[in-house]
Formats: sequence, C-alpha cells, structure tokens
Amino acid sequence: MAKWQYDGPVLEIDRLSISFFTRLREIPAVMDFSVTVQPGEAVGLVGESGCGKSTVALGVMQDLGVNGRIVGGTIRFKGRDLGAMSETELRGLRGSEIAMIYQEPMASLNPAMRVGRQLMEVPMIHEGLSAKAAYDRALAMVEDVKLPDPKRILNSYPHQLSGGQQQRIVIAMALMSKPSLLILDEPTTALDVTVEAAVVALVKELGRKYGTSMLFISHNLGLVLETCDRICVMYSGEAVERGSIGDVFDEMRHPYTQALFRSIPLPGADKNARPLVAIPGNFPLPHERPPGCNFGPRCDYFEAGRCDAQDVRMTPVHGNDRHETRCLKFREIDWSAPPAPPARSETAEPGPVVLKMEQLRKYYEVAASKIFGGGAKRVVKANETLSFEAREGETLAIVGESGCGKSTFAKVLMGLETATGGTILLDGQEIQDIPIQKRDTRTVSDIQMVFQNPFDTLNPAMSVGRQIMRALEVFGVGGTEAARRQRMLELLDLVKLPREFAGRMPRQLSGGQKQRVGIARAFAGGARIVVADEPVSALDVSVQAAVADLLLEIQRENRTTLLFIAHDLSIVRYLADRVMVMYLGHVVEMGTTDQVFSPPYHPYTEALLSAVPIADTHVQKQRIVLEGDVPSAIDPPPGCPFQTRCRWKAEVPGALCETQVPPIRTVQGGHQIKCHLSEDWLARMEPVIRIAAE
Amino acid sequence: MEPLTWTGAIGPYLNPALGLAVAVLALSILTHAGLAIARLGGVARPGAGAAGSHAAAAAGRVTRWSLFAVLALIVIYLVAGIVAPVEAKGIIGRISTRFLPVWIALAATFALSIAFKRRLGLYGNLFDNRVGMIGFALVMFWVYSALFADVIVTHDPVGDVISGMKNKAPGTPLRSPGEGVYGYYLLGGDALARDVFSRMVAGARVVLTIAPAATLFAFMVGITLGVPAGYLGGRFDTALSFVANLVLAFPVILLFFLLVTPEIIAMGVPKYMAEVLFLFPVVFLVILWNSRFHTRPMTRNIHVGLTVLIGGWLYLGLAWDADPLGLVSIPGGVLIVFVSVVFVNSPTVFRIVRGLTLDIRTRDYVAAAQTRGEGAWYIMLWEILPNARGPLLVDFCLRIGYTTILLGTLGFFGLGLPPDSPDWGTSINAGRGLLQFFPFPPLVPAVAIMSLVLGLNLLADGLREESLKD
Repeated sequence: MAKWQYDGPVLEIDRLSISFFTRLREIPAVMDFSVTVQPGEAVGLVGESGCGKSTVALGVMQDLGVNGRIVGGTIRFKGRDLGAMSETELRGLRGSEIAMIYQEPMASLNPAMRVGRQLMEVPMIHEGLSAKAAYDRALAMVEDVKLPDPKRILNSYPHQLSGGQQQRIVIAMALMSKPSLLILDEPTTALDVTVEAAVVALVKELGRKYGTSMLFISHNLGLVLETCDRICVMYSGEAVERGSIGDVFDEMRHPYTQALFRSIPLPGADKNARPLVAIPGNFPLPHERPPGCNFGPRCDYFEAGRCDAQDVRMTPVHGNDRHETRCLKFREIDWSAPPAPPARSETAEPGPVVLKMEQLRKYYEVAASKIFGGGAKRVVKANETLSFEAREGETLAIVGESGCGKSTFAKVLMGLETATGGTILLDGQEIQDIPIQKRDTRTVSDIQMVFQNPFDTLNPAMSVGRQIMRALEVFGVGGTEAARRQRMLELLDLVKLPREFAGRMPRQLSGGQKQRVGIARAFAGGARIVVADEPVSALDVSVQAAVADLLLEIQRENRTTLLFIAHDLSIVRYLADRVMVMYLGHVVEMGTTDQVFSPPYHPYTEALLSAVPIADTHVQKQRIVLEGDVPSAIDPPPGCPFQTRCRWKAEVPGALCETQVPPIRTVQGGHQIKCHLSEDWLARMEPVIRIAAE
Repeated sequence: MEPLTWTGAIGPYLNPALGLAVAVLALSILTHAGLAIARLGGVARPGAGAAGSHAAAAAGRVTRWSLFAVLALIVIYLVAGIVAPVEAKGIIGRISTRFLPVWIALAATFALSIAFKRRLGLYGNLFDNRVGMIGFALVMFWVYSALFADVIVTHDPVGDVISGMKNKAPGTPLRSPGEGVYGYYLLGGDALARDVFSRMVAGARVVLTIAPAATLFAFMVGITLGVPAGYLGGRFDTALSFVANLVLAFPVILLFFLLVTPEIIAMGVPKYMAEVLFLFPVVFLVILWNSRFHTRPMTRNIHVGLTVLIGGWLYLGLAWDADPLGLVSIPGGVLIVFVSVVFVNSPTVFRIVRGLTLDIRTRDYVAAAQTRGEGAWYIMLWEILPNARGPLLVDFCLRIGYTTILLGTLGFFGLGLPPDSPDWGTSINAGRGLLQFFPFPPLVPAVAIMSLVLGLNLLADGLREESLKD
C-alpha cells in the first residue's frame, strides 16, 4: 500500500476511552486519554502495571480482542480515524505504517520459520516486493541492527539466537517497511541491563535515521529519560501529566509524578539519611476508582470536598511547552518544598562475622548423553573461587546479570546443592557439604530466602495464614496450634499486613502484598541470614520502595544479615553496605558501596554502571555499550572471563587477558578487583556518573 | 390393547410443526454454508460485500429461530407427555413420565446452582458456559437415572422374561399383564423377551458405578507414581516411564482377552494385580497424612490410623475377598473388568501427572518449601499436586468417558461381566445378531453410551474453558 503524505501529527489520540466487558461488569481501562505524537518525535508512556498503558497501544493497533471496545474518543493516524477503517485497510496499515515491538522477543517470532523468511514477509506482503529484493532489504536491515554475520543470522531459527539478538530481529522486522509510527511495549524488560542499554541505543539511533515517530511504553522513568522527547504519565487509566522530558522531570506539576520520583532510588538517596518515600495505599482496582481525582486517596495534598467532588480535567501549565497536568491544586502547591524530613535512623554497626565463604566452587557435570550416561562429560563452572564474609546486621549486595552464578551461589548456601570445593562457615561450622535434608532445624531456619517473582512465591492452593503456619510448624516454633496462630498473626503485623489476610488466598493479594507474605514466611523461624533474590525487581516502582524499606526495618530490628541479590544498581546503591559484582561465576569486584560505585572500577562494573538508566536530568553518564552477549558457562573464554567484551583489553601488555585468570588485587581499604590492568592505570579511571551542579 | 404410537394423542398437532421447523433449520444451515463459500470466492468484487453480509445475517437469524423452535417442540413433547391423561400418552410421553424423578432432581440442581453460582467457585462458573451446562445436564441425567433406577424401571431388567415379548417393537402391550405389572414394553423387547427400556436404565447404574470408581483408582495409581517420577526424576523416572510406555504399547483388547482366559484366572493373575493396584489408594492416603502432619504426632497418628483401619478393611474385602465382617466383596467378573480398566488407564494418567509435575516443580513456592527443609513427599503432595488439580479435573471427566466406552467394548466382547448383565456393552452385543430386523435392542444402549460420553466431553470442555478464564 502506498504511504500517504501528511504534514500534521503522526498520531493524535483524542479523549480516548476503552473498556473491557466481563460477565460481571464493564471495566474502564482507559478514560479520557489524549496524546499527540509529532513526526520524528519519541513519546514515552509511563505508569505502573494496570494503569492502562498497554491498552492504549492495543487501541492504536485496533486489536482489543473480543472483550475490549473503544467507548469514546478518536485515534487519528496521519489525520485519518483508525476507528472508521475497515479490516482490510487496517491490515494494510499494521506492520507497514504502524509497527509494534513487544516485551517477549521469543513470543513475537515464529519458532518454526527461519529469521530471514519472517523478515522478507513484511515487504513482500505490504509492498509486493520480489523475494530477491526482499532478501536484500532484510540483509541490509540486519546489518543496520548491528548483528554479526547477517547471512548466517538470516538462515537461522529464532531459538538459535540469544534474547538480545532476538529482540534486535524483532526491531529489524518492525522497521522493515519503514513505518511512520513505532510502538514499543516494554521492549527491554526481559533483557539484561547491559543488553538493554545496547538495544535502547540502537532503537534511538535507528529512529533518528529513519525519522520514525515512537510511542515508548515503559515503567522505567530512567529509560524514558534516555530515549524520549516527551513524556506522558498515566495513573489508573488516565493521563495525569504530559509535557517535555525537561519540564516533567524537573518541574513536575502533579503529585503522583512527584511521589513517583521520590519513591525511586536516585543517586543521593541513602537508606539512613534520606530514605525513599513510598506512596501510601494501593493502586485502585478499575471498578473501585474513587470519585473525582483517582490519585486523591493516596495524595499528600488531598483536600476533601474539592478533589473528590468533581471530575478533574487536564489543565495547561503556563510558561512551558505543551505541559499539562490533571490536578486542581497545582497552582497552590509549593513544588520546590523538600519532602517532610523522615525519621532518621541510626546507621547500624555491623557485628561479628556470621557467614564466611572461602574459595567456594560449584561445578556441574553435564553428560553428553542422558540415557546411557556415557559419552564425554562437560563441566559447567557455575561458581569459581568465591570468598567473602558477611557480618551480623550487614547488607551485602550480589550484583550480576543472568548466568553470572548468583542463583547457584544461593542454592549452595541454602543447601539445595552441595559445593564442589571450598568451605562455607556458619558461626564457624562447615556446612558446604550438608544437603538441606541433613541440616538441623536450627541451621535451616537460620538461613532463609525471599524469592523474586511475587506471583510464584506463594502456593496458590493454600491460604496465606496456613503457609506461614506451616513454616512455623516445620521450624518447631510454638507448641500448640493456638500458639502458632498467634505467632503467625504477629508476623503479619511485622510485615504491616492486616490480620484478616490470614484467611485470604494468594490470588486475592497484590504483588507487593504477596512479597510481604514471602518475607513474613522467611522470618518465621527467626532467620539470621536472609538471601533476598531480587525481591523487588518484579514489583511496581511505588511498591518497591515500601518493600525494600520493610526489609531494612526488619533487618535493623533483628540484626539480620541480608544477602541482596540484584541486577538493579540503583537499588543496590541505596540499600547495600557492601557490594560484590559477579561475572560468569567469578567475583570481579568487591568492596563497600562507595568503593564500588566510584573509580577505580573493574571494567565490567564500569559498563554495568553506565548501562543502568537513571531518572535524573542532572546526571551525566559516560556511555559504554558492551558488544555481544555473556558467554556460556559451559564454554567460558580462556583467561579473564570478561576479556571477550572488555574495552580496556588493549591496555594490558601481551596476551595476559586471554591466557591467565587475573589475580584478586586489593586496591585500598579492602576494595578488591580481579583485573590485569595496572594499578596506576586503574587510579586514572574516570567516574561513570557525574551529578551536574544544580 | 393397541400398541402405543411414539407421540400419542398430541402427535397429529405437533408432528407437522416439528417437521416444518426441522426443514427450515436444515434449509437455513445450507444457505449459510452456501453464502460463506460464495463470500470466500468473491473477495475480488468489493461491491458484493455489503449485500452478502446482509443475506448472511438474515440466514443466521433464521437458523437461530428454527433451532429454538425445534428445541421448544421437543420440550413440549416431554412436558405434554407428563401432564397428558394416561390414555393419551405415547411412548415418549410415558418414558417422560417414568423419568419424572430425574426431571425434578435436574431442575432442582440447576435452580440451586444458578441461584448461588457466584459462591460456588469453578463449579458455579460452569453455569456461565452454555456448552458446559449442556454437558453437565447430560451427565446428571444419567447420574440421576442410575440413582432412581429402581423407581424408573417398568420391569425387572434381568429376571422378567415375559412370553410373547421376544423382539417386539417399541410400545408393544403385554398380552396378559398381571395385577400391578406395567402394561407395555416401552422400547420393545430383546431377543430374550426382556424390556429394553428397563435394561437401559438399569445399565446406567452398572456403568456409572464401575466407570467413575475405576477412573478414580487409575488416578490414584497414576498420581502416586507420576508425581515422584516427575519430581525426583533420574533412574526412577526413566524406569517408570519405560514401564508406562510398555503398557501403553500393548494392544488393549489382547490384554483383556488374556485377563479373562480361565487359565490366567486360575493362575491368579487378575487377583495379584488387584492386590497391587488396590493398595495404591491406601498408600497414597497414608503418605498424604504423614507428610502433612509429621510435625504434630497426635494428629498424624489419628489420620494415619483411621486410614489404615478403613482402607485396610476395604482393601481386604475388595482385593482379597476376605472381609472379616463379611460386608465388602466384589464379584469375580467385575473385579477383572475393574482391574483391566485401571491397568490400561493408569499409564496415561501417570504421564499427564508427570508432565504437570515437571512444570510445577520449577516454581518458587516449591523452592521455598525446599529451603525450609520440607520432605519430598510433602512438596509433592501438598505443594505440587493441589496446583495441578485444574488439568487433572478436566482429564478426569474425559477419562470417565473413555472408561465408559472401554466398558462398552468389554461388554461387547462378552468379557468380564456376566452375560445377562444389563450394562450397555453387553446389551449391544446381545442385540447385534438381529440388528437388521430388530434395531431397537442394540440401538437404545448405543444411544445411551453416546449421550453419556458426549455429556462428559462437553462438561470437560466447559470446565477447561471456565478454569482458563479470570
């Protein structure tokens, strides 16, 4: 289909309302939502899960399924109303004029078709190109998305590519017919941080190259800051604030936007001096929205009789460029006032060493043939010479991307696996060879774990109270059923959940609430060491702060040792006392939080720091994009594990990096770095993140 | 007495109406299909779209209304049959009257379920699903028929052999009915002059006792072996999966023939199998209670003790025929049928359960249970199994259907159940010789099997759909 020329905005959404119809009721998902995307502009759509941002994207694609319907407003694409178009016209538009990139790359590609054929389909269907011409275009496109060896890639099936490569193919497919509008729905959520940084840089560059307008949907404010020109903040189905990135980030005029920024760990936040401010209350369910302002019940500036008396409309903020807010009181609020000074808490002094690991190694043997057990065995080195100690009341963060061995480490510590070599000392007792079945109840209840996925951490078939009571039973707490019940209710108090929740089933709880139950369960036996495996990464931004603070509070009271596994460096900087960075089974850097977050860095830490998007316009970052993927642990590179992606490799004389594993060097004050770079070279390293003077 | 007609006195009025409605229905469906084909071929002509879709919409409306009319007429036949005076009733009317307790029970079930459907969980959601409701109605029709069989039957299904009623058409009156004897063979007589209608109703009782019970045992065996195979993996899993494949690869019918061969019975093979298979439910329950309550010895002892006591008593009676109280026993033929059905069904259940376990054991709540030092059996039976219940429930419904067909097949080959048993497979077998001349004796039980299995399949479909929603 020929592309038509149009001078106005590429996409105009005007007062759009979308509802889903279930057998019980109508559920309004999006209400009175307007946004305009100009040619060549990138607009970010930000909000927590359930706020309706993905529904807007599906509405633009006119793909709401059987239950969804547009109940008001219009969506105009290049001046034409998408709602008035026939199926045939829409089919011509989708994939050619409007393209969409989804979160899960594997789910967007057809696993039974070679990548090349899938790419070629796009121009062949939409432009009637010959197979030869389409192949050439596909080849050029794959080169554009910077994949190595494009011919081999075109000839492979999706499962033969890594997650990052798959997402690049999806991007290539979306750009195949040079669409005017690209919708990206959380395109990097499923990827590792360093891969995410590379993909985001690519999307930005290609968008500029082809002049594509973008609608970028994300929950990550930092990512939106890096990619977009304008931003639209959504809350509970409505746009609450809209404007240019600069205006909204620095001069926000809606209490929700402000609360959102105060709840994310920006550089400068500190768990003792400047703790995060969680947004009180819960996100309202679509059918339980309050009258008037949706954010009213959770807002600090709420005024009864005014905020809940009338529908609130978008009002322009004067003096800024197309900056609007959905707040009645924005002229009266003192936006520059700092948040109420929170109760400062004492910096906890770490106590004696409770856990000590020395030269811990964990290898897996993978047999080539499973049935007969013969054949060559290959060794996966999941953990390589891990040494560290953790003190009472201390938070040690373990940072690394998927495949770095942090989960294996947790399994060995918990006793689900036994170590191949080295020692784990708990209170001076060796436990590395004792599987969990043989550990005594005391040891088991001493080391407990909080899991990542809130939707998976509780057994969906058992009530919340029962699950906590089961843990109490197993740990031998309380002599009678009644005593355990009392203790269970106290644990619910501890994690700040109402006692009625004891009788609820897990599906009746929100993600943050489930995570709280998971924490209560972990502390049931009076745990002294808690391994928290990304406990907040799957939660919404506003809930993350509350859950993280809860963990810290319980830690402070019980002087628990917290081993915090994470890939999100912002939250690590906020709550960790010491940090350990892992790459491919090796500890590449370890030190106090300040030491790790300032130079000298290990080259991997440097790249990791640069990759993490920070939602602060004052922060200037050095841009370091790592090429390629994390190598497989079955076939690790010789010498330094990071040598395949390291950008400073040339600075080391000879082939040292390729041949020898670097020694652990103590730089200063217990700061350890595993690198061949010379000491004075390390001393000359520049900081990755600088905070510009205000 | 005159033989009965199918519809009785209301026939002359309703039959033409029914004929008309059916004809319209058939015509409109044909038109619909024709239009759809025309539309597929006519993509190239853009102008024809609107006119075509109008016609299609009209045809769709006619189809809906005529279908509604047909269904309404069928209901009128049944209702009118009940309320009409005795002499005006046809065969349908009389059958409908006999089934009166079933109708009342069905109506009560549906009325109560629909009234409280929001509070009944998955079972309540079933009543939002048309397909599921139809399936549930068909299944419950046969369940209530089996329950009320004693009231519904007109004659003794096995003992009443009335002279002169051999191979008679439906609605034939008895020559000299005695006092208090029902005057007609409603669905005719079979080759041994027994009442086909009564045998159908009594057959429901036989089928609906054996099929669900056998399926339940097959599930017990499949679960007790499948969950550990999936959870523990390794050699144990390899060996069990191999045995399961072996059983599945063995021709079922041949297996049945082997099991009923007198020499094999004399060797005691079916008895040994029963001794092993019937042990599974008891073992399953003991492990279930022990893993749950081992931290509370008193509660554990009560639960395990009761299970061993009751389970052991039933086990002695069923498997060894050695009930000390003399209450529980199972006839030899039925035992063989039971054992064979359990034996061929459990490997399939095993594989389903194993697959579900492989999926669920990767969840975090399983890891959480492991990290607090729970035993393997607790994790398998209390963390994994309850979360596999959805797919298992659907499969249970489907499997009762397969088992019903399997029972029919067994009966058809004359295996297991005694030759005069009223179950549907045996009846079909008895009637098949004269099928060409007297179709009713085998046709009636065949339709009964079909409707029950259809109902179970629809019910499973409905449950699956509803459990996926929300």
